[in-house]
Amino acid sequence: MSTSFIIRNAERGHDMITSDGSRSSYIAGHPDGFVTRASSFNFHEYQGGRPGFGPVRVFGDEIFHGAGCGYNMHPHHNFVICAFIFAGELTHINTAGGGMVDRLQAGDYYVFSAGSGGKHSELSVTPEDMHAIYLWLLPEQLYLPPTYHRGHFDFRRKRNEIVQLVGDADGALPIPQDLRVSRLMADKGRSFPYRLRTTSHGVYIFVREGSVRCGNVELGHRDSVGLWALDSINIEVLENDSDVMIVETIMIDDANIKKWEFEHASH
Amino acid sequence: METDMNDEPFKRLLCLGCGFSYDEALGLPEHGLAPGTRWADIPEDWVCPDCGTPKQMFEMVVVGYASGGVDLARTA
Repeated sequence: MSTSFIIRNAERGHDMITSDGSRSSYIAGHPDGFVTRASSFNFHEYQGGRPGFGPVRVFGDEIFHGAGCGYNMHPHHNFVICAFIFAGELTHINTAGGGMVDRLQAGDYYVFSAGSGGKHSELSVTPEDMHAIYLWLLPEQLYLPPTYHRGHFDFRRKRNEIVQLVGDADGALPIPQDLRVSRLMADKGRSFPYRLRTTSHGVYIFVREGSVRCGNVELGHRDSVGLWALDSINIEVLENDSDVMIVETIMIDDANIKKWEFEHASH
Repeated sequence: METDMNDEPFKRLLCLGCGFSYDEALGLPEHGLAPGTRWADIPEDWVCPDCGTPKQMFEMVVVGYASGGVDLARTA
């Protein structure tokens, strides 16, 4: 059984989702609002490949184009949804807790655990396009109380170190799953070992900008690699201002993913 | 784990569009599916009552309920 995969940017699902009218139930910003989405995993109908990684079901980068664009109010249960903002501003209206309106800018991020049920709307209301990475995962328990947490990654100060944004490190946002999200902004020539908790964990490494070498695999803009059954991996930075997202997770025994791997095993 | 007379464990499925869950043991009485209704016995053109995602885009999950979660799931 394989213990790694590579997903090149071109192999990801690339979709443009447009507003379908003034009464659009999903994409806001009619008539010219549209979202572009590049998906690493087979989310919904958006990509035909690997169904996920451990409990992760969605890893995609999205752009909300034009002022007023985004997602209208819609419901969720159970999924834990994280968004990491890289440009523009995300206005996030969420029913979790007592209900709130949040505005997130570059470096800001949130963890929304939908649990027993919540609704949210996400909009870009400023002139600049909004760029984000979305991560969806299965929770460790169903119908938890809904929660919302937000944090900030100081990309001006936190250079050349792996910074845990979500997980169990000091200051990281809590998440109801055995999973950690880290970010590395680093310069050419630097090298960073990433040690996994146990050999039952795996790591998904996504290069948002720049290029890196992981083991013997070179990854460029929006390329990614998934690795498991290993102690640690070395991330060697090949370009200045490289920006890398690292998702470490327990590799749950998932029938869907196993089935896909079996059907797509190289002979 | 709960079973019916066939002794087949009840399954839980999650909508990949929004996270809505279908639990065979609980059914969805408000949507005309009695407790114990097997996933296989739900029409193929059935869609998620919350987001409209087609039946085939639900995934079977083996995840337990949080404390009190079963009652919340019953009325979700």
